[in-house]
Amino acid sequence: MRRPVSSLSLGSSLKGKLVRAGFQFATDLRDLNPEHLSAEAGVSQQEALEALQAASSGHGVAAVTALELLQKEEEFRSIVTFCSQLDEALGGGVPVGKVTEICGAPGVGKTQLCLQLAVDVQVPAVFGGLGGQVLFVDTEGGFQVQRLVDLAGAAVRHCSLLAEDEEQRVAMTTFTVETILSNVFLVRCRDYVELLAELHLLPDFLPDRPRLRLLVIDSVAFPFLHLHDDLSQRTRLLQGLGLRLIAAATDHNIAVVTTNHMTTRLRGSQAQLVPALGDLWGHAPSIRLLLRWEESRRLASIVKSPGHMDATVQYQITCQGFRDADQSEQPQSKRPRTQTDQSASSRENTRT
Amino acid sequence: MNWDQLQLKPRIISAVQRAHLKSFREVLVSSEPDLQKMTGLSRPDVQELLHAAASACRTRQPITALQLQRGECRRLESGLRLGTGCPVLDQLLRGGLPAGGVTELAGASGAGKTQLGLQLCLSVQYPVEHGGLSAGALYICTEDPFPIRRLQQLISEQPSLRSDVPPSLIGRLRFSDNIYLEHAADLDSLQVCLSRRAALLLAQGRVRLVVVDSVAALFRSEFQPGDWLERNKQLLTVSSMVHHLSHEFTTPVLCINQVTDVFHQPESSSSSPSSSVSPALGLAWANQVTVRLMLRRLQATVSRGDQSSALRRLEVVFAPHLAQSSRDVAVWREGLRGVLDPVLDPVLAPFGPDVAQQKMVLPLRLGSV
Repeated sequence: MRRPVSSLSLGSSLKGKLVRAGFQFATDLRDLNPEHLSAEAGVSQQEALEALQAASSGHGVAAVTALELLQKEEEFRSIVTFCSQLDEALGGGVPVGKVTEICGAPGVGKTQLCLQLAVDVQVPAVFGGLGGQVLFVDTEGGFQVQRLVDLAGAAVRHCSLLAEDEEQRVAMTTFTVETILSNVFLVRCRDYVELLAELHLLPDFLPDRPRLRLLVIDSVAFPFLHLHDDLSQRTRLLQGLGLRLIAAATDHNIAVVTTNHMTTRLRGSQAQLVPALGDLWGHAPSIRLLLRWEESRRLASIVKSPGHMDATVQYQITCQGFRDADQSEQPQSKRPRTQTDQSASSRENTRT
Repeated sequence: MNWDQLQLKPRIISAVQRAHLKSFREVLVSSEPDLQKMTGLSRPDVQELLHAAASACRTRQPITALQLQRGECRRLESGLRLGTGCPVLDQLLRGGLPAGGVTELAGASGAGKTQLGLQLCLSVQYPVEHGGLSAGALYICTEDPFPIRRLQQLISEQPSLRSDVPPSLIGRLRFSDNIYLEHAADLDSLQVCLSRRAALLLAQGRVRLVVVDSVAALFRSEFQPGDWLERNKQLLTVSSMVHHLSHEFTTPVLCINQVTDVFHQPESSSSSPSSSVSPALGLAWANQVTVRLMLRRLQATVSRGDQSSALRRLEVVFAPHLAQSSRDVAVWREGLRGVLDPVLDPVLAPFGPDVAQQKMVLPLRLGSV
């Protein structure tokens, strides 16, 4: 984008002289030194310096190259889910800086995964975690401290078994159930207005907590489902909400995780289960995880992701939290991989 | 609406008053460009207005889970549970029904749902240290008349059920005085009952349990099969009312539900595994429920002394803090009691799907919790 000289924040007479001397765009000024410029344009050294400064700094956002973005992304780790298959499929875990949505029927484990992520984000950096804090926005009343204590205890035990060197042992002294609980901030929103209010106040809350790396909203659907009278207002509010979440994720480098319900959509005579809140909301998250039952197994599928292949993995929820499905528990099928591929491909067919 | 309390610049306040904006909520649901148009304020001013309205709408600052666990904010997480009166069932529920949230109890006719509802109406009246909430209960009937005689029987048998409570304490409790009965014949009267009567009783502290027996009856009778859109709207309205009551007054709400047959599992994504019945009212209602319990009648019977009872199974289908597990239950004169070691009738042993399902459920390692 070539900026014309006339748009730089300089005095108008200076700008006129520059233009008359043949400098149409800011890029023309870039590689000159002040003496050259003052000679060419007939301006004083001072003014030449000023012009060069204005040309090289820019209003607004400087363009970032893709390489810089890649380096930035690699710096920020992902948040593990403790289900290694799912972490592998996601390329490390739930990514920081993006909005991830977890959809599923009631009881399949959405809140459990959110609680697990709230514990996992706090894993110290020496163990490969982020050592961060989490803001948990609960709209359904599914946040039970009892369960968080269970998960925290299991994570602490897991990490203390892994601790090998001195650094890790030192880190374990600050990674206890109490500290884990103290790093989880809870907000309960009873309706969509309170949720909107909370997100308005987010830009104030975040700078005070530079260690915050995860924002969970469980769930986005619940308060908005009650707004069924005015669908256009709902769409508008959801859009604004989505933009705010994306901005929070990118500007403050946090992972935003939202949960969504499933609803039935009628296609002709067929009923299909789709994520709630409509197609427009579907654009807000960059990654969508679908949790579902298949007979007695729980499956997690990545159904939307710009950076990952669609994949389906099996998981389970134990008293310790969200985990890999026990290998010994796999059904009698001798080809478990093919089975998951089949279910993934059948999912592709029913999805439109 | 007193805008002055918001500490905004006078010109913002006067612009808001000129635009006839009546509440913080109205401000928050309008978009920035709309607000600019309505009030004629500049963008920074509108942002300041939104910020102030948001701060006013927020009920409390974010608090840490550690503070919740320590009991520093009783309103958000009271840590209270409503016990059922039977230690086996309380262990299944990790203490009992959570005090903030809607618990659904679904089951076929004759499974024992009303029995459990009655039992909870009595157990809520005990003090907190005995698993109660020191208050009465509101029982809203929508279909069958209230089983008053069974309630009297349960009351007289309380000392037998609650052997953990000193008899003098049981003698002091006037159980039937603290159970308020309401009958709701249709949806409108249910909504009126919830919004007025229930709210009043809860605010006065006279009740700490609301039982709706049953939710399904009203919805199934009033709507034609094609009216599901309207039905869902009403479902959401009722659900938001009970949720509001539950969270506002830290009260458990028990919604009793019927079941429907499931002929085939099309995608198996919406219900948990292998059952031939599923709770009524579909996905729309299921999404609104915090804890879902199912009570099923089994083919076996148990006997104890001169009494015999058909065996039931109380199953936790889903709950945020509970594992999927179940316990066998029998219904005696004194109420529902969990059965740890059912006297195995030959009928029970080869009872395929249920026992197999229990094997599929991961064992809950209680010691490690």
